[in-house]
Amino acid sequence: MRRFLSRFANLFRGRDADREMTREIDAHLTLLQDEFERHGMSQEDARRAAHSAYGGVEQTKELHRDARSFVWIEQFFKDLRYAWSSLLRSPGFTLIAVGALALGIGVNATIFGIYNAVALKQLPVADPSSVVRVKRWFGQNAYAYNYTFAYPEYQYLRDHNNVFSGLTAASSAIPVLASISNTAPEHLKGYAVSANYFADLGVNARIGRTFLPDEDRAPGANPVLVLSYRFWKRKFQGDPNVIGQTIKLNSLPYTIVGVAPQGFTGTDTTPIESGFWAPLSMLDQLQPEFGPASDSTWREQFRDSSHPGFQIIARLKEGISREKAQAETDLLIHQYLAGYRENQPTLSVTLQRTSYFGSAGDFWLKALAAAVLTVVSLVLVVACANVANMLLARGVARRREIGIRLALGASRGRVIRQLLTESILLSLLAGAAGILLSAAASRLLWTSLVTVIPSLQQYLVELDVGPDAHVITYGLALSVVTGILFGLAPALQSTRSGLYSATQAEASPSRLRGLLLGIQVAVSVLLLIVSGGLLGGVMSSFAKASELGFETRDTYLLSGRFGSDRAKANASIQRLRDRLETMPEMSRVALGWAPLQGAIQFPMTAEKWKGQATATWASDAYFETLGIPILEGRSFTRQEGDGDASVAVISESTARRVWPGEDPLGKRFTLDSALTFTNYQVVGVARDARFTVITEIDPLHVYVAGGVDRGRVLFRIRGNRDKALLAAQAAVDSVDPTALSTLDMVSLEDGPVAVQRGFLRVLGAFAGTLTLLSLTLAGVGIYGVMAFLVSQRTREIGIRVALGATSGAVIRNVMLQGVWPVLIGTLVGVAGSLALERAPAVQGVRQFILSPPTLSDPVFYAELMLVLAIVVIASWIPARRALRVDPVVALRYE
Amino acid sequence: MSSEAGDRMAVLQGTLDLIVLRTLKSMGPQHAYAIATRIQQFSEDLLHLNQGTLYPALVRLEQQGRIKGTWGMTESNREAKFYAITKSGEKALAEETLRWRRMSGLVDKLLSEGA
Repeated sequence: MRRFLSRFANLFRGRDADREMTREIDAHLTLLQDEFERHGMSQEDARRAAHSAYGGVEQTKELHRDARSFVWIEQFFKDLRYAWSSLLRSPGFTLIAVGALALGIGVNATIFGIYNAVALKQLPVADPSSVVRVKRWFGQNAYAYNYTFAYPEYQYLRDHNNVFSGLTAASSAIPVLASISNTAPEHLKGYAVSANYFADLGVNARIGRTFLPDEDRAPGANPVLVLSYRFWKRKFQGDPNVIGQTIKLNSLPYTIVGVAPQGFTGTDTTPIESGFWAPLSMLDQLQPEFGPASDSTWREQFRDSSHPGFQIIARLKEGISREKAQAETDLLIHQYLAGYRENQPTLSVTLQRTSYFGSAGDFWLKALAAAVLTVVSLVLVVACANVANMLLARGVARRREIGIRLALGASRGRVIRQLLTESILLSLLAGAAGILLSAAASRLLWTSLVTVIPSLQQYLVELDVGPDAHVITYGLALSVVTGILFGLAPALQSTRSGLYSATQAEASPSRLRGLLLGIQVAVSVLLLIVSGGLLGGVMSSFAKASELGFETRDTYLLSGRFGSDRAKANASIQRLRDRLETMPEMSRVALGWAPLQGAIQFPMTAEKWKGQATATWASDAYFETLGIPILEGRSFTRQEGDGDASVAVISESTARRVWPGEDPLGKRFTLDSALTFTNYQVVGVARDARFTVITEIDPLHVYVAGGVDRGRVLFRIRGNRDKALLAAQAAVDSVDPTALSTLDMVSLEDGPVAVQRGFLRVLGAFAGTLTLLSLTLAGVGIYGVMAFLVSQRTREIGIRVALGATSGAVIRNVMLQGVWPVLIGTLVGVAGSLALERAPAVQGVRQFILSPPTLSDPVFYAELMLVLAIVVIASWIPARRALRVDPVVALRYE
Repeated sequence: MSSEAGDRMAVLQGTLDLIVLRTLKSMGPQHAYAIATRIQQFSEDLLHLNQGTLYPALVRLEQQGRIKGTWGMTESNREAKFYAITKSGEKALAEETLRWRRMSGLVDKLLSEGA
């Protein structure tokens, strides 16, 4: 084994070994030369004598190399040549096998490629491996973290650490209104960054310059910008004379000093396309809500929740490990925070490797990737089982050849190696094809994701999903593993009988074949049932407003930032509502939480009942604005809504669940909303609606009075849409002009509903494609196996026909061969999908898997029938061919 | 190469490994030059050993795990790779010696019979 390893290593270490050899030969020559010199030769003569005594140095090296490299390399090439010609000998088999595997590997490489682009590619900065992102943890929970730090925390860390060669701070995305030379202003997002941002990240301007070291110091000074490449291309058509021109952001002129390189789109944890970068000194102007506040500015004092958050990216000093830097960062932040009381105390601070998609190290992304990769690897399993079965069939056909090789003295290991070489060659061919396939597929998938989900368009950066070294390595490694996986069992199987059965009749490897057939059927059934659920989600994504339970087309959601002072912002929102109410373009206006925007569940207790309920804070006119009918009782009054009165309206399902058979009006319940623990009285019952997901009615939903605080403005328009939106904009302008830059108005239909719809459809299309793929593969596989079985039984069938068997009997006989594996496979698949349905991980995303496989569901049986139909067709075609066997030919067979 | 030394013998294929192992066993760790010198001395210069040919044997033996080489300094303060026989090398030596004895005995017997 050691020798094997050393030789194997030598394969890759040729240069090292050569160097070592030269060193040893030199040493030898020196000793010889010493000896000759001791005998009185001159140095030069001694050197020559040493060389002649030694013999040809180069010949020696060659001999040495021979000893070093090995016989089995030669054997390997022989195997490879042999495998190649044997694949060429049966092009049909090769083509189908390569095709099936290429699909399987391609699907996997595609998903991995997207994961790679999102999570494994590093930030486009100089030497990304030494760059880390600082992450703050609030608890042990995998979700209890964020990436934001207060400016004073950043300063403290910057000034006290000994482990970073650079520490940069960047704001979260700042929405502004940008106008270039008096054109109409447009919405744009950008970042305020510390002056060392570009320099420390090692990002050089494409043209112009980045920021100077002191440009972020004096507040309000240095209104300069570095533009993003895409914005520059889009608005200035890539004009190099843009340097020195001005552009107005929120009506303040800024001078353009540089353009960022093409690949650099920002470092935010969410991939928001950045339009520009400005020095931190301009933060107050860019984001007026953080302007000089009553107590202090963001630069000087730590304020827990109302400070603007900064993401910190640092470059490690040379030779400092991430662990060491992390320990010091953790210590420093804790030191700094020692004097403050945080709402949510910081538990620890960690350093995370920076990937292109900032939060790639986060739990949810890993979980999602793992889930999707599991599903796609199931498709690969089907492909593998398929090819393994074909190989098995071939193995039977090649029994003679193998038997002869064994008889001629080849060891079993040697023959297995040869067969494995063949299957790995096969899978590598497939891998190459699969990688090419995935290059096209991942681009397609990504484009469709982005086009289907409109909300992604505005803020997702262009993602380079082309295959890189990671993807190619993954694809090839997967191919080799696949090759061994599907090649080993058939290789073992077909060499087992060896000499003995080479001349015997078929020693049946049918159990293994049945197993493989069963696996294919089981996986196909599983995928079909699961994706049937997802496809159900697609169907119900076409839900109309009437099914959603609220009005979506004419109801708009208005959001904007009305300053960081909570009381002032609330006052602005109320003034805005009052203003909108007077406008003839609006039919109703309300404040409150919007549907489908991440519903939150709270613990709820009534007299005898205890559970979790979705809660929505709502003002008066909320139900009228959203068009949710009140079935019993009443909605809120203005006083109740604005005054956070302890009254509630509950959904009809809630009424049925919590107070079955009773009149819910006047009943009381308690809601534990983390901050408050309030006892509410029920004043009304509303029709059920889908506030959590568009595919399902919220099982429990309570609306409680309130909605001014942290609520959104919802309005329902009357008449012309554009006119109404302009009127709303004018209203915002009159209430708080600084909010205009962040103003966003979208109808519920185009906003939240469209997002969910898009998500469901992409998911469904993806699942559908996979299922189709796996069904096709399974169909082809079953066909292949049955066809092979028929060809093996040609002679027997011929005899049967000759003896007068009816065609029906023959077909029945052939088709029954595959019955057991198929039946068992189906049962296993069904059991698997039922088990999967109960798995906790699946329960978490159950909202999207709508029709869980229940034994009473007709869809479920339809799915099973589909699989069985495919099985029947795939075995019927070869069975029919058996009938056409000419008895005379059959009897002469072999 | 044999023309220059008519009465010298070339090393019989396969025996070089045995010779090297035997030399290392009796002399302890040695560098290649010392091994070559020793073999030549011992054979009283009957054995023609192109010193370079020793290397493939050494590499082969090392890969088989029968000897182990480490870099060190000679008495004359030159660097050289010192080879020592390993446990498995000693075992192989014993087996090969036995085989050789049988083989040479057989050949002897054959030759004397023919004479």
